[in-house]
Amino acid sequence: MAKRECGVVREMSDNKFKSSVLGASENKSFAMALPAVLWQGIFLYVPVVFIIGISFLKGLDGSVFKNITLGNYDTLMNSSYFITIYRSVVLAFSTALMCLILAYPTAYFLAIKVKKYKNLLFFLLILPFWINFLVKAYSWFFILDHNGFVNSFLIKIGLISTPFHILNTPIAVYIVMVFCYLPFMILPLYNSMAKIDKFLLEASSDLGATAGQTLWHITIPLSMAGITSGFFLVLIPSFGEFVIPTLLGGGKTMYVGSMISYFFLETKNVFLGSAFTCLSGLALIFVALSIYFVFNKIGKKNMGVK
Amino acid sequence: MREIKIKNVKKTFNGEVILDNVNLTIPNGAFFALLGPSGSGKTTLLRLIAGFETVDSGSIFFGDKDITYLPIHKRRVNTVFQNYALFPHFNVFDNVAYSLKIKKVPKDIIEQKVVSVLKKVHLEKHIYKSISQLSGGQQQRVALARAIINEPDVLLLDEPLAALDLKLREEMLVELIDLQSSLKTTFVYVTHDQFEALTVADRMAIMNGDGEIEQVGTPKEIYEFPGSSFVAKFVGSTNIFKGVLKIEGDKSYFEVGDLGKFEINLPKNKGWESGRNILMSIRPEKFEICKTELQGFSNCLEGNVASIVYHGRSTQYNVRLNNGFRVSVFEQNEEHFPQEVIDYEDKVYIYWQKENVVLLEK
Repeated sequence: MAKRECGVVREMSDNKFKSSVLGASENKSFAMALPAVLWQGIFLYVPVVFIIGISFLKGLDGSVFKNITLGNYDTLMNSSYFITIYRSVVLAFSTALMCLILAYPTAYFLAIKVKKYKNLLFFLLILPFWINFLVKAYSWFFILDHNGFVNSFLIKIGLISTPFHILNTPIAVYIVMVFCYLPFMILPLYNSMAKIDKFLLEASSDLGATAGQTLWHITIPLSMAGITSGFFLVLIPSFGEFVIPTLLGGGKTMYVGSMISYFFLETKNVFLGSAFTCLSGLALIFVALSIYFVFNKIGKKNMGVK
Repeated sequence: MREIKIKNVKKTFNGEVILDNVNLTIPNGAFFALLGPSGSGKTTLLRLIAGFETVDSGSIFFGDKDITYLPIHKRRVNTVFQNYALFPHFNVFDNVAYSLKIKKVPKDIIEQKVVSVLKKVHLEKHIYKSISQLSGGQQQRVALARAIINEPDVLLLDEPLAALDLKLREEMLVELIDLQSSLKTTFVYVTHDQFEALTVADRMAIMNGDGEIEQVGTPKEIYEFPGSSFVAKFVGSTNIFKGVLKIEGDKSYFEVGDLGKFEINLPKNKGWESGRNILMSIRPEKFEICKTELQGFSNCLEGNVASIVYHGRSTQYNVRLNNGFRVSVFEQNEEHFPQEVIDYEDKVYIYWQKENVVLLEK
């Protein structure tokens, strides 16, 4: 009996000991996270709250309450500004989709098929990260120009007689967007595919699956995490992309990024600009959530024979 | 009858010869073991049959049909992988149903077949569990069920029990034997474990480290009549003596320089002549060890006990002969009657019959 009690006591003290250790480590890790949390809070969340607040104001003279209005949103809803949000959604989505289509075979080849020179090829793949974004985007100016590489090549081989008008069109914007964002898609895809056990692919074909069936039932579901994160890594920044549309679109076609810069820097209408920023943010959240929902569904559907 | 015929198959990886002119016939319906040390190319041979690798030269026949270059998914061959290779995003049911789903078999038939095959491997209670919830032994059974559900002509097993503990391995071996005899499917079982191979196989092939097949036969043939010292040493343990063949009248002897000559039965089909250098292999359990002189044995050697290793069911004595050679001797610890105690450094006699000797060329 005495022995038993002893055991119980020791068990309790063990639990106590464990919980106190865990508690301490939780406190400590929160302390370690504090600088980043403060940074995010002061420089991200507080300004966002300000922008949301300003979007409901019509001026800064006198009392705040007198200035509250929904007029900014009303103006936007009834204007052609709204179409820029739609245009940016289309650009972001199609960029992400094209990046996925181009990146998937590349990542597949590199992660699963290549055996020799894997590291070298991988290095070449991430090399664009080392080059300044602006330089990468601007270099396309010379490729797509009237006297640029593409046009002079096509004329030389006799395919066309007068140069294509590519620069300063949405097509130029799209091409360069895909080029610049491609590595952001390849990396997460490569990471998720490199983790797939090669024996699973052999087992699939051993069980009678063709290469296409193995891709659909095994490789894609097991790389779904990479597809999702790559898609969002491209979708979200390309929605607000400012540099590429300005440089290669010639500023003629307006996107969300160029619109925001127009409100804040050119017309200096911070109230309308804030409302526009909020609306575009909402649109992005809505689009991202819908896509996430669809991806989740595809992922689940592939999880079994249903 | 559809046997697997492997003809003059050669396979190299980066210039290194893995399989060198391999010829092998695996009979239909056999439980066939491919036994060899690691790096002997046995897994490569299995992967060639499955279709994961292609030969450099030579061909593989299935019955009369040349399957050398047939795509993997068209072969009626399924594999149980060493690491099981179960699909982690499927549960037990979906893993087992995979090949039927690929063939677009109607759902109710899939369900029926999955349940019946899971019963065969005693997993019917775990049908909707995820793979990560299963123990190693259960995962092994799922892999087995997944591979047999499609009723393949040949089931390939690549060291399937390597990751299991001894007790579970012994159980699974018995189950595999039962499964094979009920399915009548040809099983090709790759292993480096001679105990597993001897237990399950009704025929086996021994591969050496140079990508060649040393010997093919039943487990008993392989164990009792090894064709080379490699086989004798790899399957079980043995004592090898180097010596010279002496034929005197109708009797023949094996002469070892400083140990004397021993009576042997001359193998008639080999056409060996007197004076030939040969090897003599004697299994440790074929010896009788005793401190006193015994009658009725054809051969005897004297020595001292150098070490004693107690194994439970048997005891291994290492006996140092007069010329410094060491001979390993197994004695069953049957002890039906009080027995003499053999101790360390005791002077002992070891006896054997000439019928229990295997003579080898290399």
